[in-house]
Amino acid sequence: MDKILSLENIHFRYYPDSPNVLTDLSLDIPAGKVTAILGPNGTGKTTLLHILLGLLKPFQGQVKVSGKSHREYSRKDLSQMIGLVPQFESIPFNFSVFEYVLLGRSPYLKPFQLPGEGDIRITEDALKSAGISHLSEKPVTEISGGERQLVHISRVFSQQTRILLLDEPTAHLDLENQNRILRLLKQMSTQGKTSVLTTHDPNAAIFAADYFVLMNRGNIAAQGELNQVITAENLSTIYRTPIRVEQTNGYTMVVMDKI
Amino acid sequence: MKKLSFSKTLLFLAFGVLAILLVSVFIGRYPEPYWMSPKLLFQDQLAQQLVLNLRLPRLLTALLLGMVLAAAGSVLQMVFRNPLVEPGFLGVSQGAAFGAAVSILWLNRHPLVIELSATFFGLLALLLSYLLSTRIRYGGWVLRLILSGVAVSALFSAGIGILKYIADPLTELPELTFWLLGGLYSVTWRDFFFVLPFALAGITTVYAMRWRVNLLSLNDDTAFSLGASLSRERIILLVMTVSAAAALTAISGVISWVGLIIPHISRRLFGASAEKSIPAAMLLGGGFTVIADDLARTMLPGEIPLGILTSAIGAGLFIYLMISFGIKVRRDG
Repeated sequence: MDKILSLENIHFRYYPDSPNVLTDLSLDIPAGKVTAILGPNGTGKTTLLHILLGLLKPFQGQVKVSGKSHREYSRKDLSQMIGLVPQFESIPFNFSVFEYVLLGRSPYLKPFQLPGEGDIRITEDALKSAGISHLSEKPVTEISGGERQLVHISRVFSQQTRILLLDEPTAHLDLENQNRILRLLKQMSTQGKTSVLTTHDPNAAIFAADYFVLMNRGNIAAQGELNQVITAENLSTIYRTPIRVEQTNGYTMVVMDKI
Repeated sequence: MKKLSFSKTLLFLAFGVLAILLVSVFIGRYPEPYWMSPKLLFQDQLAQQLVLNLRLPRLLTALLLGMVLAAAGSVLQMVFRNPLVEPGFLGVSQGAAFGAAVSILWLNRHPLVIELSATFFGLLALLLSYLLSTRIRYGGWVLRLILSGVAVSALFSAGIGILKYIADPLTELPELTFWLLGGLYSVTWRDFFFVLPFALAGITTVYAMRWRVNLLSLNDDTAFSLGASLSRERIILLVMTVSAAAALTAISGVISWVGLIIPHISRRLFGASAEKSIPAAMLLGGGFTVIADDLARTMLPGEIPLGILTSAIGAGLFIYLMISFGIKVRRDG
């Protein structure tokens, strides 16, 4: 496996005297694929993404990007390589969609520099790639949840990173919008980009991902291909509820037992 | 195309402010109320002295005051992701007022000593708010600083209350009260040159980082992923704007509402992006404060404290904006 991101024996806690959120966690993320991280609430999925991003520093263990430690990269280098679509992005001011997506260009600009013609062109392309050019002038606070998620993804497109971290990108979206977002991620992997998404929905993960990571209580319970990870036994144990994994016309589906 | 049209608008605004400044030179109560003929400048030596030594430094200080308060308000509102924040926030105004009170009561009533003391305590309040926020272990960065700012403001307000209580009601209390109401009645060239470096440093930094301010208004994790050095950039912007505001507060007293309402008006007129709204807010703030000060020194035979006027006009505008359009910000997500 050609790995682009790896975590080696990561231990993490928020305060020195608080309990560990992640304990001795090791994980490899394959390059150019969609990786889905699944796990119950509070198991440390968002913390894991923040560690991959470099926002949180593990107190033990190391994070590697393309074989080199995080510490060997500058902040600017990392932000040109790894983009993030967070779980909650509250935008208190009425930026237009274009103004917001243009912010994706900041890793390429100096603190006193304004975006130039090239940045504007890349932003327009990013909006086009996500299919939302028509929203360009709309205020970000006045668009639907699905459109908002596409706007966040466009911002990462304009950031032109090889790696995308997405924290529950399909949460609170209807099926049409879930489909749109996941197809977009799949399409990006064909262009050589690596996506890492967290989700609560195993079926969404199956729909889009090539590689699966199952987390439980701050550690990795299983990682690998679909049939190695998404099993009834694994899911039932981790979610502590009876879960079946069924095959329909060669397609894997996760269902809960009827009450 | 869009950029060009905004540059033109900005230029137009700048000319507007310049015109206000020029007209304001002839507004006053000498030789008669409201207007002095420009011809008088060439005939009357007293008029020349008045314009050169009183009106000009006062007008230029009013311009700087408005520009700095609007710039600081815009930056604080965006960095704290809170549209109701103004430069007095983080205890700076109350700290500066306390510093002035300490000087009037115990140190020296010389204007320079009052200014230095007010600037020192304004910055001390900022430092205290910051240090306190680093000791709070819950909530995000914004909530922690808001809580610390409220606590530090309250402490200095209590201090001012005590100083007013023990001040000599015949000599010290009137001076203290008038200072707290805010005004530019005593501004000289010396005062102007005292605040000029602070103001220029603050205005230049904010103008240079105006696009970057947008980035700092995003969630911490997003801003970090976009390469922002959050603590460093926030501290640079806060220290530069707040120290400029503290230095000007040291001269003008507490001038409220300019830093709150002008950024709102600017965002409504030019959009939320700080690249446009901040330079526009600086010009609008400068023009607004010069006009408010014209009214303060002209309307009545005696001076109306500028702080009272800006509060009255600012609050009126705020109510109008809320009722007519709804304040154009929203918490979401």
